[in-house]
Amino acid sequence: MGKKIGVFVCHCGTNISATVDVEKVAEEAKKNNPGVAYTTTYKYMCSDPGQKLLRDKIKEEGLDGVVVAACSPKMHEHTFRNAAVKTGLNPYHVEISNLREQCSWVHPDKPTGTEKSIDLVRMMTEKTRKDRSLTPIKVPVTKRALVIGGGIAGIQAALDIADGGHEVIMVEREASIGGHMAQLSETFPTLDCSQCIMTPKMVELAQHDNIKLYTWSEIEAVDGYIGNFDVKIRKKARSVDLDLCTGCSSCWQVCPCKKIKSEFDMGLGNRTAIYIPFPQAIPSKPVIDRENCILFKDARKKNIPPNDSKVCRKCIDACPIAPVKAIDYSQEDEIVTEKVGAIIVATGFKELDDTSMYGEYGGGKYKDVITGLQFERLASASGPTEGKIERPSDGKEPEIVVFIQCVGSRDPAKGCSYCSKTCCMYTAKHTMLYKHKVHDGHAFVFYIDIRCAGKDYEEFSQRAIEEEGATYLRGRVSRIYKKGDKLVVLGADTLTGSVVEIEADMVVLASAMKAQDDAEKFAQKLSIQYNKDKFFSEMHPKLKPVESSSAAILLAGTCQGPKDIPETVAQAGAAASKVLALLSADELEREPVVAKVDRLPPPVFSTCIGCFYCQRVCPYGAIEEEDIKARDGSVIKTVARVNEGLCQGCGLCAATCRSKSVELAGFNDEQVYAEINSVEFN
Amino acid sequence: MIEELRKKAEELLRSDTVKVVFGYGEGSTPERTRPVFITKPEDVNKLTWNKYCVYNLTTYLKRQETRKLGKPAIIVKGCDAKTIIVLLKECQIKREDVYVLGVTCDGVGEPLATKCKACDVNTPRIYDDLVGEKIENKEIPFDERYAELDEYEKLSEKEKWDFWQKQFAKCIKCYACSSICPLCFCDRCIVDKNQPQWIDPSAHPRGNLSWNVTRAYHLAGRCINCEECQRVCPVDIPLNLLNKKLAKETEKNFKYRSGYNIDDELAMSTYKEEDNQDFFK
Amino acid sequence: MSETKFEPKIIAFLCNWCTYAGADLAGTGRKEYQANVRIIKLPCTGGIDPLFLIKAFERGADGILVSGCHPGDCHYNSGNYHARRRWNVFRPLLEFCGINPERIQFSWISAAEGGKWVETINGVVDAVRALGPFEGYQKLNTMGPDISGEAATSGETG
Repeated sequence: MGKKIGVFVCHCGTNISATVDVEKVAEEAKKNNPGVAYTTTYKYMCSDPGQKLLRDKIKEEGLDGVVVAACSPKMHEHTFRNAAVKTGLNPYHVEISNLREQCSWVHPDKPTGTEKSIDLVRMMTEKTRKDRSLTPIKVPVTKRALVIGGGIAGIQAALDIADGGHEVIMVEREASIGGHMAQLSETFPTLDCSQCIMTPKMVELAQHDNIKLYTWSEIEAVDGYIGNFDVKIRKKARSVDLDLCTGCSSCWQVCPCKKIKSEFDMGLGNRTAIYIPFPQAIPSKPVIDRENCILFKDARKKNIPPNDSKVCRKCIDACPIAPVKAIDYSQEDEIVTEKVGAIIVATGFKELDDTSMYGEYGGGKYKDVITGLQFERLASASGPTEGKIERPSDGKEPEIVVFIQCVGSRDPAKGCSYCSKTCCMYTAKHTMLYKHKVHDGHAFVFYIDIRCAGKDYEEFSQRAIEEEGATYLRGRVSRIYKKGDKLVVLGADTLTGSVVEIEADMVVLASAMKAQDDAEKFAQKLSIQYNKDKFFSEMHPKLKPVESSSAAILLAGTCQGPKDIPETVAQAGAAASKVLALLSADELEREPVVAKVDRLPPPVFSTCIGCFYCQRVCPYGAIEEEDIKARDGSVIKTVARVNEGLCQGCGLCAATCRSKSVELAGFNDEQVYAEINSVEFN
Repeated sequence: MIEELRKKAEELLRSDTVKVVFGYGEGSTPERTRPVFITKPEDVNKLTWNKYCVYNLTTYLKRQETRKLGKPAIIVKGCDAKTIIVLLKECQIKREDVYVLGVTCDGVGEPLATKCKACDVNTPRIYDDLVGEKIENKEIPFDERYAELDEYEKLSEKEKWDFWQKQFAKCIKCYACSSICPLCFCDRCIVDKNQPQWIDPSAHPRGNLSWNVTRAYHLAGRCINCEECQRVCPVDIPLNLLNKKLAKETEKNFKYRSGYNIDDELAMSTYKEEDNQDFFK
Repeated sequence: MSETKFEPKIIAFLCNWCTYAGADLAGTGRKEYQANVRIIKLPCTGGIDPLFLIKAFERGADGILVSGCHPGDCHYNSGNYHARRRWNVFRPLLEFCGINPERIQFSWISAAEGGKWVETINGVVDAVRALGPFEGYQKLNTMGPDISGEAATSGETG
């Protein structure tokens, strides 16, 4: 009951036939092999007549297995399998012998090439004999998307998808969307106000009918696969009912805890315990900071429910909403589940804020040594100084400011080996913002290189030097120390070979862009890859720059690596277009090359013994546990099962399984065995 | 100590904590012991403990016949207890389904079993209750623990090949080695898979190398070195040398010792980016 | 002696995404190499069971090459890392049994490294040629009567 196999040997013009005796190969394929019912050679198998020949012979000869001995399967496996489908033959009964790339082109001696070809054809014939019919796996698509992160990348992606007509769930872990872009004062290279371009987008998102927004929420778990994800979202207790609250501000105006460092102002300004992060926050409804609120502190100390604490109830008393107040001290975290078909990860970056490792810059001790983002807040009209450049220690307007580039970046010893890409531009911008506000001030910039590759970027940085008069010094700063109320900056100017000593009023460190602190854990939650710096890895650095290593999980913005706003927006749009394409289909078809754990009749049920090594090695979390139960519901044994939707077909499980209870379709045990066993070495 | 053991067993059975006690009983001669499965409190006097309690009772945790008896208390020496850790890690038993009755041990066998010569688990590393004076577990240097391998590793390639061929040639494929092994618990051993037949199961010498190498490899990162395979081999193949060699490589390359720490990831189900790759081109 | 020159038989287990494509690239670049190799393509080196290697030796291979993606480049994230772990124990085991480690070689060859493929495979062929035929293993096959049913199903016996 063997298969009837047809062997079609291609000349490939003379690409194969020049160094391989194709006639002999065809003849030998038949010899001693009763399974081979038909053999032929043809000039160009991939041509239309070649494919017709294949189709005709499958029908005429009643072939149920085909070997095409031609070029690499990477070239035309698809072509020949499609041709076979047209005859009704299952495409997985078609195999390719690679006679061109791996034989005729590399072995110029004809007898040698011919001998090897005969062997190669036999190996594939034997594999084909064991081929089984496989059906593409159809996966339904949930036509909703999840966007994680509400910075500019997430906002752009969410708006694009929502405008495309699909529902979007956005999850932001802070109390407001906006991300880092909302913190910036003005943006390069046009110096337009960041909030002026950002806030309309935030409002648009909040008001979009297709977007459901979860702020003060985090991703708890992601299960499922392309087209079918189940996402558990933790809605952290906000202590404020978003439906009832109108954002009237009564509560935070009366809050007695007024000296809490504002995260949004990078610690340069203060906020209350019940607060909105910044005036344009979306939603513009407050959250109670339970760590710092005296009521919650009291409750923790006394180990009583917060509602029972009587220390302070000013905010709830001030809340004008009646009869039920919008403030609720007893609110608890809530887990909600959302089903989505695709996910965009736009979780952003973190500025290197721990400059304590830079002992030579004061190790984080000097108040007037600030980071780039802190400078943004100083320069921002909505910032703690309302846009006036005042140094943090005494509020004095600094007459001399030293900017140091590459703090953390390009410094493998202390920070990161990579270039943070945006600092050259924002430092140039900072010198301008400074000069615009402090006309007779002086800006010095220490740099390693000036990297301003981008449209209008070089011109911008030149402007800072030539028109705004910033003094650029090529070299590093070796030390900063305090002298009176001045900061003495000791550095080198490597272009003149001199030592520079500047008595500055303030120093701005262009700190590196780093991956979020929890990036690694988060990536593991989503089963996506990340690089050594914990930035998420794209599937292909050139051709798949927005895809992550997991299907239907896309990357946007700085979570993938340092980038500026235009790049971020472009990547977000690209990710959104991938999502839109995915959601445009009702069903997805996947190659059926997936693993399967055997199932047998009782009493064995499966040869799987449930050691779950397969589950441990599976890179995709595709192995599930299945209880095999008796009629009375008792568990007879727990065995492994492959979730076809998640399985990507690597075969790790199959090679790990000691009893070979799991096999990979298309490369199953019998097929591999047949290949190995048929090697003859003529 | 025997009395303590019996008393403990009796308590466990009377309180219905367990349904059966897997232990050692007296054999046909004083130098022998045999496994006993005590289900009635009045039978606990059948239990014994002496230096002839060489074998590893945990193999009965995998057998249908003994599993049917209900929740067991199992008497384990420090070495045998390592099996418990592996079985737990490999989802073969649940912690609450086995009562581990550890015994401290300063060596078994007459002469002393090889496995006892570099013992660092005189007191079991996992137990519910311990019988016997606690013995401080020693730390034994790596080289000393694998000293048994030295003379074989020193052999030339040809000598190694000849040695093992001579050994494997004796193999009659009786599969006593895998039957006794507490960690060879597959329902269907790879050698019994016939489509395709990766390993010739017959007594023909062809499959002997494949079988013996595969058996050992399937225990890589798992074998806890109880030497039972070697003890039961009717033709005296030094099977534990293969196991020990793999244990040595696993420890050397992955800093992993099977059965020592329940929190360690199973060596062959994980990886580290910095794993050895000297031999890759 | 020269008439009966020994030609080593090499079976190579290659990852579809990297080394197999690298071998294709060697072809596209018409880089000649020794014809002693028979390639078996698998999705990932992580999917190679040591049994495949044992079987290849049983079948008559004098040498084996396993080649996959460089660390960090695995198409399936971690397949090559798991594979590396496997070979870290399997290789010393065979060596301990008296099999010369040169007969089982491992490499990382990317889809872009056609040249490395040629170098590597020529290296394996030369090394195994120097070692001579793996007679020890093959002799086992011919001892006693052939009573294995499966071995006969592939048609010829070699």
